[in-house]
Amino acid sequence: MNATGPPAPSLRGRPRGLPALALRAALVAVLLAAIVGPLAGLVLWSVAERWHWPAVLPQQVGLKYWARITQGDLLAALTRGVAIASVTTVAALVAAIPVSYGAARARLPLGPVLLMLFLLPQAFPQLPVFASAAVLFYRWNLAGTYAGVVLIHLVGGLVYAVWTMTAVFRAIGEDIEEAAINLGASVTRTFFRISLPLALPGVVASSILVFIYSLDEFTGTLLVGAPYVTTLPVYMYTASLGYELQIASVTALVLMVPGVLLLVLMERFLRAEYLAFFGRL
Amino acid sequence: MNAARPAEQLLWWLAAIPATMVIIVGFGFPLVQSLVASFTRDGVLTLANYELVYRLYRQDVVYTVMVAAAGLVLTFGIGIPLSGYLRLHHSQTAEFLLKVPLFVPFVVVGHAMRIFLAPRGTLLVFLHALGLVSQDTTLAISEGWIGLSIALAWKHLALVVLLLMGAFRGVGEEYLEAARGFGAGTFRQIWAVMVPMAAPSIGLAVVLSLTSMLASFSIPLMMTKGSGPQMLMIDLYHRYGQHGDFGTASAIGVVSYLLAAGAAYYYLKGVARQ
Repeated sequence: MNATGPPAPSLRGRPRGLPALALRAALVAVLLAAIVGPLAGLVLWSVAERWHWPAVLPQQVGLKYWARITQGDLLAALTRGVAIASVTTVAALVAAIPVSYGAARARLPLGPVLLMLFLLPQAFPQLPVFASAAVLFYRWNLAGTYAGVVLIHLVGGLVYAVWTMTAVFRAIGEDIEEAAINLGASVTRTFFRISLPLALPGVVASSILVFIYSLDEFTGTLLVGAPYVTTLPVYMYTASLGYELQIASVTALVLMVPGVLLLVLMERFLRAEYLAFFGRL
Repeated sequence: MNAARPAEQLLWWLAAIPATMVIIVGFGFPLVQSLVASFTRDGVLTLANYELVYRLYRQDVVYTVMVAAAGLVLTFGIGIPLSGYLRLHHSQTAEFLLKVPLFVPFVVVGHAMRIFLAPRGTLLVFLHALGLVSQDTTLAISEGWIGLSIALAWKHLALVVLLLMGAFRGVGEEYLEAARGFGAGTFRQIWAVMVPMAAPSIGLAVVLSLTSMLASFSIPLMMTKGSGPQMLMIDLYHRYGQHGDFGTASAIGVVSYLLAAGAAYYYLKGVARQ
């Protein structure tokens, strides 16, 4: 396994002298500045109660804007977003499991074709399709409704759910299922008693992925939900449009919480293929 | 594998219907509708929408490709050497830091970069605090292509490094050892061994980032408020939202499909191979 893991210390190419250490330290410092810098700007703006040119730092610093989380529009957008994300997650998982399991086990004769269908939304630009979906939703009286927003979130959510869970089901050995079937269990019973319990950790990871996707989803919510159903990302956009930079920055930081929490908590056991999905959020 | 009995097979098919319907209703059908709408105006088949796109937005097509190309150069110009270096010199801190942008949503990146790169943005605040610039310095990149490509690169670098690190780790240690045996340093090991051996994965990462950057909407929406050339998705949004012109908006959409089509082809092929 040496070839796939990080190289062992003895195999490192360079002697670990002072210049090499300095280079590493410099690299980490530059990365820290480049990655944390823009985010630190958000923190600064979120506590800037008064900040007028030419002052380099805010003249007055406080938590006035942070207090908005506990009241009014911001809280409403947050709870609305959590409610939509919860419904989307449950619906996506229930709907995706039969597709994933069917495709992973070749029980659905057209499994590969079906899987391709669930890749399409990743391959096309989102905005033109969602704009077109919004036109349809207006016709069907779904625009500006919770049902419409959940439906548009499900499109993206299902893609994540189907693909991650197909990988999870493929990773479970078929022999244990065959043993159950040979002992007389039906395929459906085997699925519920053997495969699903084994897949549970993957199902949990998949649902976290869908939940965060829905919470962060912007384009579809803007086109289908706004102005009646606004979630945090849309709320942040509206605030920034009105030059309420402090409110927008507080909202931005709140939006980052679930993701960063997940990054810190799951750093060790979140598999790389799940991480790759996050890059599309 | 034991074949499912016909009744059970029917059950699995029925259970797969809701998810399939969501994709068809929420994606497939709208996709087809936008294709049709791009070729019709007032119910008549016409190319008028495309003429309008050519007249009003042809420079924006070039601009969009240019911004995406600049973002791509930046992302891979940093991503390839960085991933190669980290393949040889493992650093947990660096790898953790690089994952952070994965978890920052696009809209947040747009807003953060807007206030970071603004004429008197937080970047200048930090530089001033370090005594590197004077108080009168201003920066005029947040609204233009430089600011956009920096923001796009910031967001995409995380995914690219993740993909490249995976690919570079797949390059056998024996090849790198052999290269070292001939006196290759870090730079030579990356360019002469890792990059050629991981070329297919690099290609896939390029395609993924390119389609994403060409179709980027929330980052430019958050960053650009003024006039001047715009990304295609911003044009589409205004055509649709402010002018209520779904036909022309769809034609812009079709142009973006075509830009992404070549990329999408390789993407699907690559995924199918896995």
